[in-house]
Amino acid sequence: MIKSIYQLEFKIFFSNKAARFGILILLISGFCSLYLGKQFIAKQKTVIEKAGKMQQEHTDKNVKYFGKDLGLLLYYNKFAMANIPDNWAAFANGQRDINPYLISVTMLGLEGQMYDTDLNNPSTLLMGNMDLAFVMIFLFPLVIIAFTYNVLSAEQESGIWGLIRSQSTLPMRIIWRKLTVRIIVVFAVFLILMISAAIYLSLAPDLRFILVSALISLYLIFWFSLSFWVISLGKSSSFNAVCLIAFWVALNIVSPAVLNVWLTQKYPVPEALENVVKQREGYHEKWDLDKSVTMDKFYKHYPQFKQYAFPEELTFSWYWYYAMQQMGDDDAAFSATRITEKLNQRQHFTHMTTLLLPGIETQSGLNQLAGSDLQAHTGFLQKLKAYHEKVRLFFYPLIFKEAKAENINWKQFRIEHYTDRKSEQVWQNLLSLIIFSIVPALSGIYNFKKRASLL
Amino acid sequence: MMKTIFIISGNTWKMAFENKATIALTVILGLALGLATFIGWQNFNTQHNQRLKYKEIVRQKWLSKPDKHPHRMAHYGYLVFRDKHELSFFDFGMESFAGVSIFLEAHKQNTVNFSEAGFSNGMLRFGELSVAMVLQLLVPLLIFFLGYNTISAEREAGTLKILLCQGVKWSQLLFGKVLGIISVSFTLFIPVILLTIVLWAALSNWQVSVDSGMRLLLLIAAYTLYFIICAGIAVLVSAFHQSSKAALTSLLVLWVFFTLVLPRVTQAIGAKIYPSPAKIEFNAAIEADLQKEGDSHNPDDPHYAQFKADVLKKYKVDDVTKLPFNYGGYLMAEGERISAGIYNRHQKQLNQTFENQNSFAVAASYLNPFLAIKNLSMALTASDFKTYADFQDQAEAYRYQLAQRMNQLQMDNISNEKPGEKEKAASISHAHWAEQPDFQYHFKPVSWVIANQPGTILSILFWFAGILIILAISSKWIKTV
Repeated sequence: MIKSIYQLEFKIFFSNKAARFGILILLISGFCSLYLGKQFIAKQKTVIEKAGKMQQEHTDKNVKYFGKDLGLLLYYNKFAMANIPDNWAAFANGQRDINPYLISVTMLGLEGQMYDTDLNNPSTLLMGNMDLAFVMIFLFPLVIIAFTYNVLSAEQESGIWGLIRSQSTLPMRIIWRKLTVRIIVVFAVFLILMISAAIYLSLAPDLRFILVSALISLYLIFWFSLSFWVISLGKSSSFNAVCLIAFWVALNIVSPAVLNVWLTQKYPVPEALENVVKQREGYHEKWDLDKSVTMDKFYKHYPQFKQYAFPEELTFSWYWYYAMQQMGDDDAAFSATRITEKLNQRQHFTHMTTLLLPGIETQSGLNQLAGSDLQAHTGFLQKLKAYHEKVRLFFYPLIFKEAKAENINWKQFRIEHYTDRKSEQVWQNLLSLIIFSIVPALSGIYNFKKRASLL
Repeated sequence: MMKTIFIISGNTWKMAFENKATIALTVILGLALGLATFIGWQNFNTQHNQRLKYKEIVRQKWLSKPDKHPHRMAHYGYLVFRDKHELSFFDFGMESFAGVSIFLEAHKQNTVNFSEAGFSNGMLRFGELSVAMVLQLLVPLLIFFLGYNTISAEREAGTLKILLCQGVKWSQLLFGKVLGIISVSFTLFIPVILLTIVLWAALSNWQVSVDSGMRLLLLIAAYTLYFIICAGIAVLVSAFHQSSKAALTSLLVLWVFFTLVLPRVTQAIGAKIYPSPAKIEFNAAIEADLQKEGDSHNPDDPHYAQFKADVLKKYKVDDVTKLPFNYGGYLMAEGERISAGIYNRHQKQLNQTFENQNSFAVAASYLNPFLAIKNLSMALTASDFKTYADFQDQAEAYRYQLAQRMNQLQMDNISNEKPGEKEKAASISHAHWAEQPDFQYHFKPVSWVIANQPGTILSILFWFAGILIILAISSKWIKTV
């Protein structure tokens, strides 16, 4: 009996042209976005691979040209570090188009080099990428709305509802049945896309896969739940449609836009410009100062280098030159820390406010899991700092001792990889999405109960 | 004839405001617009003042440098900041995605760094609240909500037949409805325009330029056309659908497709067909060209060997130290000339690639009025790609001029005799630093904008004319019942 009723409901659902159209849109845009997302990440992987080869060639050439003068060689030689994209980054591109994923630095002041951007077409950045996360966060809810907004009102408007009510004691059960059919269909499409993504992007079926699926599932359930609540108000089809679209626009477009502007106003980053000025002055002013000013500070920073004799009588020495470069970074250290602090504050602000907005919430959860958010980038920059320091500490004594370039094992300086991923906040996102899905559903049930008792 | 149109539009207007939902939506949008205007103004002030502050610091530090070797100054370089046009408070365009400052130094071209997007954690991707965003995205949505049942509801209620029997022509009915919707949306648009004019004047310190005035006028005209296009679409879709519900669904699908999906897809296709190089590839290509023409880093480079022989021959001396000018400066001027030429060639090529990528969005404007207004609005508020590229060009021209000035100073004022290893380095008076003017970005005139956007401007006119024509002749295909 129940089985046949469901069969009938499915039949009715699929006989609707709009329903078939909606499913088709999701599948087509889903597959397109999978392709585009993967292409985007594949390009980055190719560039990183190329960069590895180029670094070796460059180093060889530099050793050939400037081998006699290690200080000069290191003035030119670059050391690259790459933020290796995770397979999941193709699923959620996040900020990977905006933030550089490959940074090549010389041994000179780091603060003047580490914020250099990649060559980007700002129009492309403005329009944004097309990845599967986009389809799931923006397009799925719209199809859910289109499938559900008139579940009750269409019956009422066509006059069938009275008939149904007179025959069944539990009209809510009919609504449930209709919604279940739609939930099953939407989740089937979701499942098809997730399986395709798993195969096409070679995603491992691990905890992360479960977390991503859970995040998106909850997000989709939230939209069903919200729809259910709107339906429970018992208004006309047009009202339901306008109301749900208004929710979608408010939650996914207007609120994030408002929050973002609030964030930029609340936590501006003038420190970035401050930092450039400080770094530049910190280094350049030393040319006109007594050498001891630079060297005293340098020895204070690195007492271990006092053991190397400093050629004070020379007008120019690499010893002094690199110490001056170091001073640029040291003078900019405060503003550099402030930048990191500001970015952390922004991160925190986003975490707190997104708890109120399921769309951004899901997006930021996905970006976190894919390692394509701001946090992953700041982590990358911190690692780059540490790596740069390691390179400096390795070469400083060699420069001061005027070591020969051919005696150095240059092979140890291959392109560095960064892959650390953090996603502690995802549990919070999950929890708030659960609340988001439950509350409208409960209040919908309450509305129905109340109306049933009134009728 | 016209009277009928006005009566219909008047009724539509009245009906719209009898609906509580319309009033609510209009009020919400009005608030959003007010907020967007305020935010845009605040944002402009913060960003503008910040850049102005650092611009002054940079200039003052440049002037306060002591006597030194001019080449040191060439490496000390100059930090320049991208100016914001006073109209950019209206449309942020790519402001947040384009870098703000660029460090200019000898022999090296740097990227424009510190875009707001680089400090953003993903929320920016959902869009930015600006007046333009509300007008481009949300007002059309309101227009669609107002217009989806204009014809179909009359049809459903059976009043459509009566209207037509009374001698109202289809075209009068359609134009009347469009006019009615437009007048509703103008209750929002006109106050915004007035506010914009006041803020724009305030941001220009009440000294408005003719050029900005022209830009603003064109902007108002463009948005007016855009709203008429949207209202026309809404009424036509309503006329072609049997039920209001179906009309609403179609309009919403169109809206999502126009504003959300198509812009991303066209840009992605453009980037796929015209791939741009990564920075590392771009730099490698420049380096390869440099080596071909002459590698100043290579001590045995044939180009520079020939260059040296030529100058010795010309001045009839046997050693560069006997030249009447500083040879190092002369050599560096040559290096700068070659490297800047090569860099500019590559940069031009890169910008051409970007333009090619963007050309898809321009072409898609003929399919998508949202892209048409978006591109035109950005161009008129000087927050578009072309203005950004122009800033890069002007900054590079300044950089080249600065480097060559320092090379000239070196040639003229620095001795050819190198000081010994332990002697004081050669230097010139700091009075020369003031000879280098401050960097001043000059916005291109509005005529340049128009000349550079033929496709975009045509696409808006194409849509406008197309909608008017279809409204006038569509009665042949519309069913009355």
